[in-house]
Amino acid sequence: MNMDKYLDVINACRFCFMCRHLATLAAVTGKEADTARGHALIADRIRMDKTELANADYIRTIYQADLSGSCRKHCVSSYDEIGLKLALRQDFVEAGLAPAAVSALAKEFTDVQFKVSGNGDMLYYPHPCIEAHQPEIAQAFLSVVPNVKVIDGGDCGKVLKLLGFAKESQAVAARFQAAVKASGCKTVVVSNPAAYDFLKSDGAMDGITVLHSSEVLLNSNLGSAAKLGKLTFINSDFLRNYQECNAPMDLLAKLGCEVERFGTNGEDSYACGEGSMPGIRLFPELTRKMVAHVADMAKRFKVETIVTPSPFVKHALTTYAPELKVLAIEEVAAAVKL
Amino acid sequence: MLPQRESYSYEMIRSELTWVVGDDHVQTDCSEKLAHSIDYYWVPEVWHDRGLKPQVPTFVVHPASAEEVSKILQIANTYKIPVTPWGGGSGSQGGALPMYGGISLDTKRLNKVLEIDPVSMTVTAETGIIMQQLEWEVEKAGYSTMHYPASIGCATLGGFIAHRGTGVLSTKYGKIEDMIMSMEVVTPTGEIIKTLPVPRHASGPDLTQMFCGSEGTLGVVTKATMKIHPIPAARKFHAFLFEDMHGAMVAGAKLMTSRLQPCVIRLYDNAETAKLIKRVLGIERNGSYLVFGFDGEEAIVDLQMKKAVEICKETAIEDLGTDMGQAWWDHRYKFFYPPYMFQLPQAFGTLDTVATFANIENVYWGMKNAVKEQFPQATFIGHFSHWYDWGCMLYARFIIDNPPQDAAEAIALYNRIWDVAIRAAIKNGGVINEHHGVGLKLGRIMKDLYGPAFNVLEGIKKTLDPNNIMNPGKMGFQGV
Ligand SMILES: Cc1cc2nc3c(=O)[nH]c(=O)nc-3n(C[C@H](O)[C@H](O)[C@H](O)COP(=O)(O)OP(=O)(O)OC[C@H]3O[C@@H](n4cnc5c(N)ncnc54)[C@H](O)[C@@H]3O)c2cc1C
Ligand code: SF4
Repeated sequence: MNMDKYLDVINACRFCFMCRHLATLAAVTGKEADTARGHALIADRIRMDKTELANADYIRTIYQADLSGSCRKHCVSSYDEIGLKLALRQDFVEAGLAPAAVSALAKEFTDVQFKVSGNGDMLYYPHPCIEAHQPEIAQAFLSVVPNVKVIDGGDCGKVLKLLGFAKESQAVAARFQAAVKASGCKTVVVSNPAAYDFLKSDGAMDGITVLHSSEVLLNSNLGSAAKLGKLTFINSDFLRNYQECNAPMDLLAKLGCEVERFGTNGEDSYACGEGSMPGIRLFPELTRKMVAHVADMAKRFKVETIVTPSPFVKHALTTYAPELKVLAIEEVAAAVKL
Repeated sequence: MLPQRESYSYEMIRSELTWVVGDDHVQTDCSEKLAHSIDYYWVPEVWHDRGLKPQVPTFVVHPASAEEVSKILQIANTYKIPVTPWGGGSGSQGGALPMYGGISLDTKRLNKVLEIDPVSMTVTAETGIIMQQLEWEVEKAGYSTMHYPASIGCATLGGFIAHRGTGVLSTKYGKIEDMIMSMEVVTPTGEIIKTLPVPRHASGPDLTQMFCGSEGTLGVVTKATMKIHPIPAARKFHAFLFEDMHGAMVAGAKLMTSRLQPCVIRLYDNAETAKLIKRVLGIERNGSYLVFGFDGEEAIVDLQMKKAVEICKETAIEDLGTDMGQAWWDHRYKFFYPPYMFQLPQAFGTLDTVATFANIENVYWGMKNAVKEQFPQATFIGHFSHWYDWGCMLYARFIIDNPPQDAAEAIALYNRIWDVAIRAAIKNGGVINEHHGVGLKLGRIMKDLYGPAFNVLEGIKKTLDPNNIMNPGKMGFQGV
């Protein structure tokens, strides 16, 4: 089984409470099961009794995990609690136990074809997130960095990976790679941190550099963003916890914004389940709860405008808390381009 | 008699509970029940590890207000089913385990910070809040609770109150019972009461203190007001090595009895210095490691530090300096993460005891010799954690690397070691215990510890909880 590769994680996490304060979903459900410890206990029971793999409660708990990565990042020994959950999801899929809703969603992301248009040395991949309707982000980026080719078509394999469809994910990734290769570009720029993470790990391409849009914007000709007033920054889990990419913060600093970190600390995830993006389709109620938590904090701490490098965060917040003013980092850049 | 699943009464109780907290907040699924069957007590861990059937609650209920807690307790009284409060489940005594099934009342939705009062320097919060989250909120307002236990990230404010918990800076800022001003409690029969708003008064016995340490047996603490402090301008540390534990203990006691005001002192015996301090701080030395710190205004910190260093220099064999003190502070929680923490397959227990300076070394040797003589397979190590004007706490541990594979045999051995060690501690003037509480693990010893005074506690329990619904079988009280 795939989860057997994570026996060290199971043994470490099953009786460990040390990262519970950072369990993003548990913070809104209050549930013990939604913590790294809760997940490891489930894995351990499955390890001891393989028939438990079919336990519908366990399957649901593992699929609804937020995968923020805050716990792994906090962990003194960096135990890969995320890898364990992804391995379990893969085990469910391979045993034919994926819930019908999961399989149906996976199907949507399997038949993807990519096409490249435009001219330039860099290839921009704007696919925003699970729901592909945030054209304003790509428009903002392209208004600052116009001379690029654009690759479009859909998700490059990350969603399938998150759902546990590893083989299918690799097949889509191979198609994406072929399209990139055919474009002749050696640099791919992405706005979506989930794709950034995927293209730097499972979907990595030989000889191709992958950049987040903020890394490119850092070197663009931009003016001062001080006029935008106070901005409050919600980071992407994929950028902060998975890839340790600081470019969005560096960019905001360079633009001279008055920026404050959202929330009370630098470890919590406020990304509303970005780590497990398809969750917004499978368990919208849980996303709504995570958003409500962020919206409540925004109100208490009198947040005016939220800025984020994550299209998912913008999408989740504007869907479930339309009263919040949220800008993608590309939109901040576009507002101050010279 | 508890209702069986798929019975009319089970469905009746479930319906009533959902009417109180909503469908979403009454869980009966395997995932949540499994997670509520194991706290930080070694016995449920080994139980799980050996593949035994978990002892789960019938319902996990997550209330979001004192009113909801009250209604849940009323339902429990009607059906006479046990209610076990569950905060973070990080208690090491089995206190939150739903031994008899029934309702596991998980407090974590009671997680709001209600008020920060900068004039009186207090914070009022609901008690299901994770301590680290509370500390972060208070820090954002420019203050600190100064409650820094190793379990700050996993335990709740209510859990600390229920176990009389303590943090690393207790020597200056006190244990949780010194930090709490007042609280709101839902009594076992469902009344919502408030204790007096200040902790110093002459209006009869103090109810706040009565509920501190009651471990969910006398009700559910739903709100608390605690002191907060300014963030100190300076916090400095220094470490020394002593030839043996006695020398270090004499120096540590002198720091306290000369009435210096360190925020922390910690002394590791030779065995723990060789094992844990080496592993976490990389110091490879024979001897006992002593570290202390002061915080506050820099000039006062420096003055106190100077005096403390002078005291230690009289007998220490090596001045490890400020870096090795600071390193300890920086890594203070690292000891508690895997793989630094003891973990299965090892059997281990924290023999938490507290005594006066006159008795504390006798307690240490009494326990150590008893364990060594009767259980040669066990290693005994210890450090002294929380220091007072009159004595300190011994955080002793026994570790067995290869306990029996059979769960019953392993648990029997474990219980036996506990019994022998704790009785040796009591015989030498120790009190069990300083901050972990009693729970299921040590309930059987309460009568011996208290003598006839235990009747007073039993009387209070019977009066407040006539149907014995609140956490039965814990703290030495009657089970179901
Ligand atoms: C890694 C680690 C390190 C630790 N370090 C420390 C430390 O430094 N200092 C320390 O003091 N302890 C420490 N502990 C022990 C533990 O964190 C404490 O005992 C803590 O008080 C338990 O809080 P909890 O919220 O997890 O309570 P739980 O374990 O959920 O419950 C403990 C008891 O309190 C009762 N209870 C919980 N909430 C309420 C409530 N609101 N009202 C009434 N009763 C309630 C429960 O029924 C149970 O009897 C540590 C534990 C771990 C896992
Ligand atoms: S990830 Fe690390 S801190 Fe979190 S439960 Fe696992 S071992 Fe503990």
